[in-house]
Amino acid sequence: MQVVKLSLKKANKIPIEADNANPDNFAGKTAEEIGAIPVWYGNGQCPLGDLFNVEVEGSGSVENTKIVFEGDVSRVKRIGQNMSAGEIEINGNVDMHCGFGMKGGKVVINGDADSWLGCEMAGGEIILNGNASYYVGSGYRGESCGMRGGKITVNGNTKDYLGEHMCGGEILVKGDAGLLPAISNNGGKIVIEGSATMPASEMKNGTVIIKGEVFDLLPSYKEEEGTEEVEGVTYRKFTGDVNVGGKGVLLIK
Amino acid sequence: MSEILIKNASVCDPAQGINCETMDICIRDGKIVDSVSENAKVIDAEGKLTMAGGFDGHTHSAGKINVGRFMNPNDAKKNLVPGLSGQVARTEKTRAQVGYNTPNTYAIGYRYAKLGYTTICEAAIPLLAARHTHEEFKEIPILDKMGLSLFGSNWQVMEYIRDKEPEKLAAYIAWGLKASRGYGVKIVNPGGGEAWGWGKNVSGLYDPVPNFDVTPAEILMGLAEANERLQLPHSVHVHCNNLGKPGNYATTIETMKLFEKVKPSRDRQSLHVTHVQFNAYAGTSWRDFETGAPMVADYVNGADHMTFDLGQVIFGPAMTMTADGPVEYANARMLHEKWSNQDIELEDASGVVPLFYSPKSFVNAVQWAIGLELALLVKDPWKVMFTTDSPNGGSFVNYPEAFTYLMSEKRRAEVISGFSKMALDRMVLPGIDRELDFYELAVMTRSTQSKMYSMPEKGNLKVGSDADIAIYDILPGHVDPSTEYAKVKKAFSGAAYTFKNGEIVVKDGEIEETPKGKTYWVNAKVPENIDTAMQKDIDRKFRKYYTVSKANYMVEDMYLQKPVEIGTEGVF
Amino acid sequence: MPVIKDAVCSLCGSLCDDITVTVENNKITKIENACILGHSKFVGMFEHDRIETPMIRKDGELVPVPYEEAIEAAAKILVNSKRTLSYGWCSTSCEAVSGAIQLAEETGSIIDSTANVCHGPSALAAQEKGSPSATLGEIKNRADVIIFWGCNPVHAHPRHMVRYSSFSKGLFTEKGRKGRTMIVVDVRKTDTAKLADRYVEIEQGSDLLLVTALRSIVNGHEDVIPKTVAGVPKAEVVELAETLKNAKFVCIFFGMGVTQSRSKYKNGDAMSSLISDLNQHTKAVMIGMRGHYNVTGFGQVATWETGFPMAIDFARGYPYYNPGETGANDLLVREEPDAAIIAAADAGAHFPQKAVRHLARIPVIQIDPYANPTTEIADVVIPAAVVGIEAEGTAYRMDAISLRMKKLIDSKFKTDEEIVKDLTEKVREMKRGA
Repeated sequence: MQVVKLSLKKANKIPIEADNANPDNFAGKTAEEIGAIPVWYGNGQCPLGDLFNVEVEGSGSVENTKIVFEGDVSRVKRIGQNMSAGEIEINGNVDMHCGFGMKGGKVVINGDADSWLGCEMAGGEIILNGNASYYVGSGYRGESCGMRGGKITVNGNTKDYLGEHMCGGEILVKGDAGLLPAISNNGGKIVIEGSATMPASEMKNGTVIIKGEVFDLLPSYKEEEGTEEVEGVTYRKFTGDVNVGGKGVLLIK
Repeated sequence: MSEILIKNASVCDPAQGINCETMDICIRDGKIVDSVSENAKVIDAEGKLTMAGGFDGHTHSAGKINVGRFMNPNDAKKNLVPGLSGQVARTEKTRAQVGYNTPNTYAIGYRYAKLGYTTICEAAIPLLAARHTHEEFKEIPILDKMGLSLFGSNWQVMEYIRDKEPEKLAAYIAWGLKASRGYGVKIVNPGGGEAWGWGKNVSGLYDPVPNFDVTPAEILMGLAEANERLQLPHSVHVHCNNLGKPGNYATTIETMKLFEKVKPSRDRQSLHVTHVQFNAYAGTSWRDFETGAPMVADYVNGADHMTFDLGQVIFGPAMTMTADGPVEYANARMLHEKWSNQDIELEDASGVVPLFYSPKSFVNAVQWAIGLELALLVKDPWKVMFTTDSPNGGSFVNYPEAFTYLMSEKRRAEVISGFSKMALDRMVLPGIDRELDFYELAVMTRSTQSKMYSMPEKGNLKVGSDADIAIYDILPGHVDPSTEYAKVKKAFSGAAYTFKNGEIVVKDGEIEETPKGKTYWVNAKVPENIDTAMQKDIDRKFRKYYTVSKANYMVEDMYLQKPVEIGTEGVF
Repeated sequence: MPVIKDAVCSLCGSLCDDITVTVENNKITKIENACILGHSKFVGMFEHDRIETPMIRKDGELVPVPYEEAIEAAAKILVNSKRTLSYGWCSTSCEAVSGAIQLAEETGSIIDSTANVCHGPSALAAQEKGSPSATLGEIKNRADVIIFWGCNPVHAHPRHMVRYSSFSKGLFTEKGRKGRTMIVVDVRKTDTAKLADRYVEIEQGSDLLLVTALRSIVNGHEDVIPKTVAGVPKAEVVELAETLKNAKFVCIFFGMGVTQSRSKYKNGDAMSSLISDLNQHTKAVMIGMRGHYNVTGFGQVATWETGFPMAIDFARGYPYYNPGETGANDLLVREEPDAAIIAAADAGAHFPQKAVRHLARIPVIQIDPYANPTTEIADVVIPAAVVGIEAEGTAYRMDAISLRMKKLIDSKFKTDEEIVKDLTEKVREMKRGA
């Protein structure tokens, strides 16, 4: 087991782009080696060690590597980008694109996450013990496929466009979900325990379950006869989006 | 005076019938010359294949491509051909680069140059939006540029044809080329653009255009007559009706036949048919869709009045863009894709739709095969121009990959092995064993272009020609393209040297210098009285129908980078 | 006395190119054909508060300096910055935009346009669904049903309806206004709505609901429509959908009421789909009513030079684009930039307070002909000639048709193009020195 502890030397406004900060790059490396990994800061690059205190305990394979960010990293972007295994624990707020394109492993955030959490994620798990901003589990601008696999759990609320263009995987939001969650869903499963506005616009495929209040249900869903029961809860069943010939299922109370 | 001596080059120059002979090439002040002084800089090209700079005679590289960039920002980071795609940071010598199918202007220039290409022809300039095309030309470094202006659904053109005013029609074409600073006459789905103004299309050569009482066949013949009357350097350049539809090979052959009676006014073809792959489909629907290439090739083999280009498909993502508005709408609906459309008042239509060619799709597999079948079944390489209709069939950065398909049956078999039986049943490619040699490849990528565009200074290494030269690190006779296709691809992917007007712009596959290229346009002379009569008609068009004034319609001189005016004398 | 014909008006995105200007003693004395807004731009140039000289802030006061000194001070700010925001560039020429992009590239800056606060969502919509459009002449010559949705051309684009839309006459629209059905969709009865045959009033922020309902009806799913949509009774929505389906040629002109209302770019996204669906029945297109005369041009130039229409971050040496992350407001609200260029636009007046507060804290370079609230917080102020009047250059109309703007009178001021060029040269010189 290898544990890498990172803490910022001083708070920053200009974001640090830590796309190299993942278990794949850290496994088996010493504190010096990790400190020498370049990161982008504004319009220049500098060694990670110039910005972070780096402590390493033990040595391990990627699967056995855990990275712990201590304190606020709300201006550190792309933590865990493309990671394939291992674990990242963030004890504070985290900036945009955390877990972008991740393929495996686990990210636990004990704080809030900025936009694009788990964007284009293909596998693994993200647990957010706080609130998320926009575009959780979505895709990059212009991309037709967002999150493809894995699971994201948000124990707080999210802002708008949750799971935009999702084509696989699962998102669970314990709180409210803002505007247009599950827009253009194409095969993902989204469960929102709180409220949502205009859910599942242009859903082609997949399942969206909303336990709380739904505002402004879009006039492109057909209510099916009867009700559907999921885990002991009874829902009204809607199918659509009719405008994309959708076979998606929208369950609301 | 700058002089260069390229020594011991293995020269392949079909225009002179030189087939991989070892010789020296002398350059002075940007031109190829007989000899140079002892002060000349010496480049040792021993063991290296040396050709004229490549010439892409049909590419979408300025204007409409911007819509493609705009709607697909996700193309920017695509790095499917390393070294020739994706995001590249700026350097002291080069601007920042992005993209694969729709690279930014700088990347277009650098990447063509890396492939040894030095001239491109933009395939579609809408007259009204021509200024935009030239603005992009200015930002494409290194390459010489020219473009074809769209006339196929133009109100004034259709009216003159309907009213049987061939002289005024020719005068209008001359004026339109001048207004748009175009090099030649492009006809896209004749009449279809106007029909698309009402959400409709024309169904074939004899289906009249709504409200204008002319047929696509009449438009084609009228424009061909005007083209020859003006003695333009290029023939009409035709994108046939019914593009992309099963069974369209018949329309294509019918179109080709129409031109048998057109007498070219210069030593070139009277018809160029473009991206024929998209127009060589047999069958009656997508269910019984199959190759129509053998029929088209058969006809072409017996014809001597025409040239064509391939529109070869490359598997992976592509970005389709064409003035054929109804085709793009149909594509978007069928594929559930994004759809951009831009109809141009009084003139034409256009659309842009991204798509993905998959070897697993039997339709896409057959499309891929059709392009190659056309290239290999047509016996005379001088009738064939190699293109992917970039980026419609795929990005130009895949040309080296496509060359291996043309040069190696083994390579083709490798690709074909991934096709379904259904696909194999619908193509004839597996039975074709022809493999192109370097000489034939040079014909299809350089020499044909020089001839068909009447550009004697391009596409060859004759004394007096522009010193646009590509030197590739591969030696014919010492490599067997049939089996060593990986070497072929590598050599063509990054030229050892690319010379542009005698300047080394690429060395060992990297950009050395980024000079500005020239812009070619055609100024056809028309008798004053005919021009005056014609101007009266278009003045009325501007007064009543256009939303810009005539004065602001003409592309001003300042938009042309290093302009080269090609004058022709109209015969009236 | 020179009379200049076919001048292009550099006020709004209509870019009227039929203006006649009379110039006497280097002064514009007569303007023909322009609307009241355009007219005031041509003559008002002297009435507005011009910046008379380059200035640098010293001890809290703006002090006049020569151009060279201002350029040098500006260059110094740029070379010492790790994250410069270059913003605006919409009331200027494409040539200046091109220079500004090169400067941003060489300094690893972020460059964004005023689309960030107006039609930026239209670009995002096009990136979802494409942009099914046409040039304005297509509307003039063919359209029999015209919708103005969330826009008010009577005030924002005064000649639009006469030259291009409702009142214009063309080959297939000889009857002009009489042969057309004009519909306005808005949240309040604007002066444009008063001219319409039909006015559809919707609840604030409910555009997406109405567009979606129209799509459902056009696609044959009238059964899923509830009793009212967006505050509009179902029968009225159905009737509207039928009007569109039965038209010969439909154009939807949309404005900031669409792009900046609740569901932002998803409104344009859905509208684009509605246009596509309508083309199953008739011919339909849509056109954004762009405000700044060359905001379209910024998008065009940026797209061919960088691959992206706005919000371009050159930090890594190549362009990166992600509105929401790299937009001017996104950055300022997060207090990321450590320096800013504000050019040919007023950030001081149009940005949220938090963004303006951050601007006030960092070094700001202003390039503009006119003093405005940004001047109050600028550290280097560089006056520029007014493009389209004192300087020539290219601009793009709202339908992406480019036109050459003329220089009508001489000016003592440098052009944006020249200023950017000088600034880039100076930055290079400083970098070489370092």
